[in-house]
Amino acid sequence: MSAIIEVSHLTKKFPSLRNPQAIKEFIVNLPRASRSENGDTFSALKNVSLSVEKGECVGIIGKNGAGKSTLLSLLLGTSHPTEGTVTVHGKRTPLLELGSGFHPDLTGRENITLNAVLLGLTRKDVIARTPQIIEFSEIEAFIDMPVRTYSSGMYLRLAFSVAIYTDPEILLIDEILAVGDESFQKKSGDALVSLIRSGVTTVFVSHNLEAVKKICSRAIWLDHGQILDQGPPSEVIQKYLEGV
Amino acid sequence: MTLTPTFQRKVDLLYLLTRKEIALKYKRTVLGIFWSLLNPLLMAIVFFIAFKIFMRFQIENYTFFLLSALFPWNWFLSSMIISSRSLVDNVTLIKKVVFPRQYLVASVLLAQMIHLLFSIPILVGLSSFGGPGPSLSWIIGIPLLILVQWIFTFGIASMVAIGNTYFHDIEYLVGILLNLTFWVTPITYPLSSIPANLKPFFLLNPLTSLIACWRGLFLENKILWKELGIAFLFSLILFQLGRIVFNKLEKRLDEVL
Repeated sequence: MSAIIEVSHLTKKFPSLRNPQAIKEFIVNLPRASRSENGDTFSALKNVSLSVEKGECVGIIGKNGAGKSTLLSLLLGTSHPTEGTVTVHGKRTPLLELGSGFHPDLTGRENITLNAVLLGLTRKDVIARTPQIIEFSEIEAFIDMPVRTYSSGMYLRLAFSVAIYTDPEILLIDEILAVGDESFQKKSGDALVSLIRSGVTTVFVSHNLEAVKKICSRAIWLDHGQILDQGPPSEVIQKYLEGV
Repeated sequence: MTLTPTFQRKVDLLYLLTRKEIALKYKRTVLGIFWSLLNPLLMAIVFFIAFKIFMRFQIENYTFFLLSALFPWNWFLSSMIISSRSLVDNVTLIKKVVFPRQYLVASVLLAQMIHLLFSIPILVGLSSFGGPGPSLSWIIGIPLLILVQWIFTFGIASMVAIGNTYFHDIEYLVGILLNLTFWVTPITYPLSSIPANLKPFFLLNPLTSLIACWRGLFLENKILWKELGIAFLFSLILFQLGRIVFNKLEKRLDEVL
């Protein structure tokens, strides 16, 4: 047994944004690690425990606001638990909002380098792989132009290409299977499936139940911040559809 | 030199973020990075005209006197102003990618340092004509002072940048405080012009000893070890404080951005 992701009794609370905290209160509470328990918080995740084995592909389904994306950002590490622990062994590659690390005024090539290094490569590695990344993205002609001149499809294609060429060990995917036009969608989908098949651990958040059924080995149904059910995708999806 | 991949990656990331800061500053300008040299040069000319012709001070070669402190101050000033927004302006990056967030602050300081480096030739010129002439002590002194000032600025900038994500008021407050700091630090006037009974209070300002070091180096070719030691001590304290505050507040960054 080698759990590559281990989440135990995870709770994530967000401050209620209705009344911004006063500076006085903030400074008084500063010595304490967590926000004072005055109840003015919103719990996005409540006491969630789960583990993912190496090579597994786990699909997370649930309604809007169920806590799926919050869970993903906690697994990624851009967010920290209020209570409980998250342990992840290995390099995490996010496919969240594609191209969020891009700067509009930098060229496609400059953005490739910066983003691939952000995703865990060294500059030397990136330079060696840049031709492949450019080829996969199919935007050779525009690669030395600032990405602000790109169409949104080109933007996404480049971002996707960078991500899959950074040797992902754990892929965290948030609803991105629709990248670009028909032919690129197929190409990106195939690339992703072959990565998953090759043993990359994947956590996949999606409303596309067919995709979850097709790709994932296990599905987790999240509702109001809690796990309602988990197991083989077809069974969980069946229950989910009946529950909705 | 071979480095471990993780360390190499960190160096690369810091390098790329710094290069991005510089590239973006001069994007869509005709002269590009040449502005970094032109800017301090034009500033020197303006001051030269102003103080040679309009305002005559008792201090000998006032332009050199002023610029020897003003260039290092400008590095501090621009670093503080830009880095106070460095986290707020990179929300998408912070929310979607994991990397050491302090790098966003560090890269601003490094990018701004380029301007300081470009102003050194101007100080060499001023020292050669009307000063004692640059000496070998500059070769040791400049990197040493840059290092101390870097640590010092990084400590304060870390606190300001992370604080600003919680309360955007801080960046406005910083603007005012920097203005005040400029006048309570002996930049436009010499430390010797301060009344003796007020001097201890001025020495509480860590920038006083730092600026005194810069001035000692450029004007007298001396490394003021005592002042440097004091500045270094202040730097270490602020650096450590900055680290503690940053690490503590960073944990809830996703909730406030």
